[in-house]
Amino acid sequence: MKRNAMVILTLILVMSTFSAACGDKNNNASPSASPSDPAAVEPFTVSLRHIQIGEPQKFRKAILDDVVKKTESEVPGLKFELDGIEDAVNRFTKLPAEMATGNAPKIFDLFGGNADALKYAKAGRLLDLTPILEELGLKDKFLNVFAQFTLDGKIYGLPIGGNMEGVFYNTEIFKTNGLNAPTKWDDLIKAADTLKSKGITPFAMGSQAGWVPNMLVNTVIGRHITSGFPNGLTDGTLKWNQPEIVAGYAIYQDWVKKDYFTKGELGKTYDDMLNEFAAGKAGMMFDGSWRSSAFKAAAVAASLEGKVGFIALPAINGAQGDQSSINANYGNGYGFSSDLNDNEKKAVTAFIKNLYNDEMQLRGLIEDGVLPSMKLSEEALAKVTDPLVKQVMETMSKASSSFVHYDSVVQKAVNSESEVQLQKLIAGKATAQQVGDALQKVQNTENTKK
Amino acid sequence: MKSTLKNPAVYLMFIIPMIVLYGLFFLYPMFSSVFYAFTNWNGLEETQFIGIDNFKTAFGDKSFLSAIGNNMYFIFFSVGIQIPVIVVFALLISNVKKLQGFYKTTVFIPSILSTSVIGILWGFIYDPDIGPIAAFLGFFGIDPIYWLAESKWAMIAILITNAWQWVGFYIVLILAAILAIPRDIEEAACVDGATAPQRAWYLTVPLIKPIISVVVMLSIAGAMRVVDIVLVMTNGGPAGATEVMASYMVNKAIKYGDYGYGMALSIIIFALALVFTAIYQITLGKTERTEY
Repeated sequence: MKRNAMVILTLILVMSTFSAACGDKNNNASPSASPSDPAAVEPFTVSLRHIQIGEPQKFRKAILDDVVKKTESEVPGLKFELDGIEDAVNRFTKLPAEMATGNAPKIFDLFGGNADALKYAKAGRLLDLTPILEELGLKDKFLNVFAQFTLDGKIYGLPIGGNMEGVFYNTEIFKTNGLNAPTKWDDLIKAADTLKSKGITPFAMGSQAGWVPNMLVNTVIGRHITSGFPNGLTDGTLKWNQPEIVAGYAIYQDWVKKDYFTKGELGKTYDDMLNEFAAGKAGMMFDGSWRSSAFKAAAVAASLEGKVGFIALPAINGAQGDQSSINANYGNGYGFSSDLNDNEKKAVTAFIKNLYNDEMQLRGLIEDGVLPSMKLSEEALAKVTDPLVKQVMETMSKASSSFVHYDSVVQKAVNSESEVQLQKLIAGKATAQQVGDALQKVQNTENTKK
Repeated sequence: MKSTLKNPAVYLMFIIPMIVLYGLFFLYPMFSSVFYAFTNWNGLEETQFIGIDNFKTAFGDKSFLSAIGNNMYFIFFSVGIQIPVIVVFALLISNVKKLQGFYKTTVFIPSILSTSVIGILWGFIYDPDIGPIAAFLGFFGIDPIYWLAESKWAMIAILITNAWQWVGFYIVLILAAILAIPRDIEEAACVDGATAPQRAWYLTVPLIKPIISVVVMLSIAGAMRVVDIVLVMTNGGPAGATEVMASYMVNKAIKYGDYGYGMALSIIIFALALVFTAIYQITLGKTERTEY
């Protein structure tokens, strides 16, 4: 008897340990959720992954927080679980792993294109947003921004805003050194040479992450190609090792040799790049227009408030493409898991309604310098007073055409290889032609896959 | 109670959950890794069996071969430079009469710090603009060195940091072995007129050979699976100069989404680590039990 009691007790202990470990955390939810009480609602949580972390993103985080708060107040029982992580970690490490294992958050920051949104959409991981946009009457309120998020006519992601990549320059340093706003290629080169001779870094650059210098290379290549960039890379009509693209890499290499960039750029981060420019150690910085919010009161580079100008990359002497074309993107926004229950779907719908509207788009533009992805009235746009944001908008409106960043078009392996090869070019381990050849090799392999 | 302990069912009750957990969290992932290594699985689409293609690709992949070379640097640095330094430090500390505990604690501290903290700390030390090394070099009119930004310096910078993190741990191990040697052996050597270096070389080192052998083996195994310090300090850069096998595998599997290839790389890493440690054990690592 004693022995049996011991066995039974041990068994109970083991079973209780397992059941405690496997217990659902919702089991101890609010006791008020009784079916007999008509006013009671079952609490539920919705995971929300965002990349608005750190000081530079504080304005857009404030917008997100307001949307979260409003949505929680509108949907009974809803509680968002916010998970903020660094942009590249989300895009290249965490989200891909979660997509592979099928446990992505319900709402998450998402990039468009073949390597991200379209790949996940093909695998059935993303929610088709077309019915929700129709239900909310939003479909026609967006600008033409869904190219990188559309598969078989269905929309799988909502760009939060747009941007263009161009040159920020320190107007004070330029004035002190008798330099013009670098609107022509020769002015740009003259400015770089002058600044270098004065011991000022011409272009702040942080190339530890390859995507940072790739912004400039992408724009330079876009100016050399007459048509079909960057889509031609995946359909085989453009080759990475053709002379026009190699010429783009050659310009970057030439600038490295001339010491136009931050010394030791391969060891500098994207934040280091901003810090160098903000500290007045560099005269220029090639970056996305989203950076404009850094140069305002209470922002990370407030010391440069009113002292920064923005221009598109000037027309490149001898380049064959459209020289007033700009690199403009609507590639980043939010995506939603296809695995949603009814409550979660209600939360997602309310989140979209509260984030994608005139008020929030205008706040994004005014407070954060993010160009709207939705149509705003002239009256609303007139509320923009920040001179730098106005400059960005004017620059965009003057452009005759635009092309997207190739990282939203080419396959992930090609994009990653482009970063590695560019770093090799900067390190002096590869020539422009070798970079082109190496990239085309990977592109060929990827293009032969389904 | 005695009769309960004689009942096989009781033992099974304790063993079975462990076997289940071991199978679930060790055997199953291991065998599924082997399976996926022979496929082109990208984590999202249907898996296709592709035979040994991933392995053939790996041995023709220049970046992976370069990463293997970098792991070799870790082995050579650990075994060739780090271990002699560790032995010397352990001998010095063992002879300290006062504050021996203080020295032991001081050298051990880096090994209890997280690699992220160490990476950031040394990132500051190496910083060409504000770091102390640059300031020291500047004092002699030498231009700052871009330790983590130039291919020729980045690897050595990481090797030094990695050594700083781990020497303390190994010093404490070897110190324990030295302190376990009976004092009368050394006193006898003193009476015979042996100098301190002679006693260290002819007496102490041979007596602690078994623990040195263990340290060498641990260093080889550690060098083969090193990854965290690289990811924190350079993420394999600049231009792949510090890429090691494990960081390359992580990038291939997760960043590129090529899980099949990543699994194949993980098996190659496992096999290489096994081969290197086995070779060492069979050749130089053979030690006899020390009798005092």
